[in-house]
Amino acid sequence: MSKPWAAFIVVLSFALVGAGCSESSAEAGATHRIVITGSSTLAPMIAEIAKRFERDHDGVRIDVQAGGSTRGITDVRSGLADIGMVSRQLGAEERAALHSHPIAIDGICLITHRDNPVAAPTHDQIIAIYSGRVTNWQSLGAPPRPITVVNKAQGRSTLEVFLKHFALRSDQIQASVIIGGNQQAIKTVAGNPGAIGYVSVGSAQYAAEQGTPIKLLPMGGVPASVRAVAEGDYPLSRTLIVVTAHPSTGWTERLIDYAQSPRVHDLISEHYFVPITD
Amino acid sequence: MHDQAISWHAAWPAPRLSARRNPDRFIAITAWLGAIAVTTVFFWIVVDLIRLGGAQLTPAFITNAPTSAGRAGGIGSVLVSTALILGVCLAVSAPLGIATAILLAEFTREGNRYCTAIRRSLDTLAGVPSIVFGLFGYAFFCVYLRMGFSILSGGLTLACMVLPILTRTAEQGLRSVPDEYRYAAAAVGMTRTQTLRQLLLPAAMPGLVAGVVLGVGRALAETAALLYTSGYADRMPSSLADSGRSLSIHIYDLAMNVPGGEPNAYATALVLVGLLIAINATAVWLGERWTHRKLSTA
Repeated sequence: MSKPWAAFIVVLSFALVGAGCSESSAEAGATHRIVITGSSTLAPMIAEIAKRFERDHDGVRIDVQAGGSTRGITDVRSGLADIGMVSRQLGAEERAALHSHPIAIDGICLITHRDNPVAAPTHDQIIAIYSGRVTNWQSLGAPPRPITVVNKAQGRSTLEVFLKHFALRSDQIQASVIIGGNQQAIKTVAGNPGAIGYVSVGSAQYAAEQGTPIKLLPMGGVPASVRAVAEGDYPLSRTLIVVTAHPSTGWTERLIDYAQSPRVHDLISEHYFVPITD
Repeated sequence: MHDQAISWHAAWPAPRLSARRNPDRFIAITAWLGAIAVTTVFFWIVVDLIRLGGAQLTPAFITNAPTSAGRAGGIGSVLVSTALILGVCLAVSAPLGIATAILLAEFTREGNRYCTAIRRSLDTLAGVPSIVFGLFGYAFFCVYLRMGFSILSGGLTLACMVLPILTRTAEQGLRSVPDEYRYAAAAVGMTRTQTLRQLLLPAAMPGLVAGVVLGVGRALAETAALLYTSGYADRMPSSLADSGRSLSIHIYDLAMNVPGGEPNAYATALVLVGLLIAINATAVWLGERWTHRKLSTA
């Protein structure tokens, strides 16, 4: 038999044996395994919290998987995950079926290009822009330039929070561009002087500090900043939560308590979210 | 012969002659411009990656584990996970794909209905968006077969995904071997197995290698199929049952979900592109060497 084929078979058998071994060691091992899935907004921060928890506690192993809030909820309900990460509001039925635990707060702000002279559009002007009644910056007293309305894709939690705040329905919005995440929204607005979009305050503030040509618009007269969100004055925010299918016990409970404790506030701030203090 | 050429030229009036030559030049220029455009795009990408990520790329970056959600530290564990996922993928897809290619190219006639059905289904599979493979892998390997989020689930999902492209390229490679080889082998009394092992497979090696390289390329670039199967954990995997993050998912997460993750996203992308080039070059070199050795000693 020629060498490459032999190599394939060796690799294949190693793979199968490896899988077999790990299977049995996982069953026999004393380490407890916690699986967390859900919101990709929360995942990087929760993964860091989990790492610190693992470092501080022996005998526990935490796997964090991203894939969206809805997946987190589905996985918790099907038992595939112990904890789900959710960055949107729970529906009435979900709220009844799940136990939720707040972890952090995230503000949402409108951003425009840095060179856009419009300083503070009013509540009604924003509704007019997003529902397509105003299509040129001239109507807001700026030099004429068509408005590029950047909206989030269906199912994005910032979209839901934004719609709720401005009492808009999804089908009323006349979007020029539909994008996915915060970073994509920031890149879109930074590259288009006529664009307006909405993103997480933390991400926007970080990008603006790094020199990305965007401007954070005040909301209801309150300047958009992580500090304003932390002080509770800022009107547009969402609570980032984790959910469990049952009242949490054992390691799961300890992990959630840990994630809600001041010991991880630095990690939360590091990801430009606001820790919950009461 | 010489006379003929002269009379042939004389038959064409001068203006028609230049009109005949100009299209040639036009085609040549277009072809060159096309080739230059393609290579420019590639070099632009590489230069951009080096410019934006080159500074982060140190030996420590290659070996260290990521910290602070990937903004600091390196990609050591991510590289290991990627290699394991790729290993599982190839260990399953290459033998299956090449065996199917041998069946399609050597053991059945061109118009065979069953083979046409196999080809159609492979071509359809090749066009299926990778997220569909991801959802299939999640439902089948992770949930139904209870493998959970693991390198094994991810590698097997990728194997399903690269199988069509690998099989079809390998089949084309085998078909490109002239039938004279087969006749000659039959004439000297070689069995089918001998012919295949000593003649056809070595002669088709460039095609087989191309198939594997295309498969590896697609597998390395994949995010959607892996996000739902091999997962997101960026720790060093201790077995194939562990969740492991691939390079492409690491880049995706740093670029989309982590504020301040961009410099390391670029550096990781640079590693990924470098890896692709290296794998490509090695595979071509190995394939050529093997073809020469086999065909000259057989």
